[in-house]
Amino acid sequence: MDAISTSAASGMQSRMQSLEMLANNLANVETGGYKADREFYSIYTSTDATGNPQTGDFTTLPVIESQWVDHSQGNLRNTSNPLDFAIDGDGLFAVQTPGGVRYTRNGTFRISQAGALTAIDGSPVLGQDGTPIQLQPSIPFEVTPDGNVTQAGQPVAQFQLSSFEPGRLNKVGLNYFQPDAGTQPKPAAGSIMQGKVEQSNVGAAESAVRLVAIMRQFEMLQKAMNIGNELNRRAIEEVARVAA
Amino acid sequence: MIRALYSAASGMAAQQLNVDNIANNLANANTVGYKSRRAQFQDLLYQSMVQPGSSSSVSTLVPAGLQVGLGTRASSNEIIFQQGAFTQTSNPLDLVVQGLGFFQVNQPGGTIAYTRAGNFQLDATGSIVTSNGSQLIPQITIPSTAQSVTIATDGTVSYTLPNQTAAQVAGQITLANFQNPAGLNSIGQSLYLPTEASGAPIVGPPGGTEGQGTLLQGYVEQSNVSVVDEFINLITSQRAYEANSKVVKAADDMYSQVNNLTK
Repeated sequence: MDAISTSAASGMQSRMQSLEMLANNLANVETGGYKADREFYSIYTSTDATGNPQTGDFTTLPVIESQWVDHSQGNLRNTSNPLDFAIDGDGLFAVQTPGGVRYTRNGTFRISQAGALTAIDGSPVLGQDGTPIQLQPSIPFEVTPDGNVTQAGQPVAQFQLSSFEPGRLNKVGLNYFQPDAGTQPKPAAGSIMQGKVEQSNVGAAESAVRLVAIMRQFEMLQKAMNIGNELNRRAIEEVARVAA
Repeated sequence: MIRALYSAASGMAAQQLNVDNIANNLANANTVGYKSRRAQFQDLLYQSMVQPGSSSSVSTLVPAGLQVGLGTRASSNEIIFQQGAFTQTSNPLDLVVQGLGFFQVNQPGGTIAYTRAGNFQLDATGSIVTSNGSQLIPQITIPSTAQSVTIATDGTVSYTLPNQTAAQVAGQITLANFQNPAGLNSIGQSLYLPTEASGAPIVGPPGGTEGQGTLLQGYVEQSNVSVVDEFINLITSQRAYEANSKVVKAADDMYSQVNNLTK
């Protein structure tokens, strides 16, 4: 393929991946604590193709180099349910899943039959000391913004809020994040709001703009590809014509 | 590309379920003792297209990979046991639980179901029954000659007979509460059954130390559905459905353009 078609094809493929990410963001527009996926575009320069001997051109391809998670704050919605918690600011809740400690911004918790505070999937939520938070279910409890849990005026536990360097957290589904191997959490400065949930930070209007942008870029690239095809066709059919 | 279509479809299915849930809440906006449900969603698994930490060349590593999520799913619709508003009825057998407790009623077949709906009545034998005729546990019988029935905040039911000044005690209503009320199983008619997740009922008199709450006579607990909140949820849900359908359209358009590349 010629340079125009190759670049355009790579660009179209990247826009398709962008649309896949956007589709996932929009599907999770109502998922509590969901953080939007964003992508970086960059130019891929093939080492094999640097310096075409004839023209000195580089073969460059626009590709999605990497994706990142937008950890910006979602809106807090009031639910008045004492088992809903939202983090205002930096930090994630730590949850002991069967596969190890995972981190989440989704603070819709339950009280298990044994009195442990758990995430929706039943995995216990961890306190500051790394042990599950245990409650007396029949007594109302309060959580202060600094994460201290009190029942009948007595301190019971403190929430563990963990912070990570940007880009160290990978999504593993079910609203969980898993840190890169060997990454240690740091204490976070965020505050905990009881009776609120953090909504997804996917903006519907912004996503609509992205959708239009992706479609139009895709259309332009498709036109570029057609131009490349047309040039090839003319080269083959007209330039190489042998006079009768 | 197919991923975009299926992610968007999963989003539409999730919003459909959300609207179903909102519709049921709104339909029960006037059901005595109804507790609203709220749908919760989770993101699905992520497909790694470039593994983070893989080699991009001999000496460099990919710092952050390329993972594409595969949509959303409904994880639960939990019951919100927030106290509903009280309305005065002046019916002596209308009761409200101020607190976390549940009334216990006998089901056909002998199982015990639990309810927050305290609009009780008397049956032909004078027993206190629910509006479906299920008997309240413990069984309390009021004679037909009783002049007035009083139910105290601790559940003591007493009545006076004609030409007598002293009140007769008919029994004491007990309430049950659960470790995890959100784990109860709704069986309709405002009744709940305990499950493994909810734990066994803890039965005690109203006003006790187990947190059952106290009783209030002559009032009923309204549904805790907030019509305003439900309408706001309905609007956001409908818009989210629309946005996901737009993604389906966009994916389809892009596909069609690819198919038109070769003429």
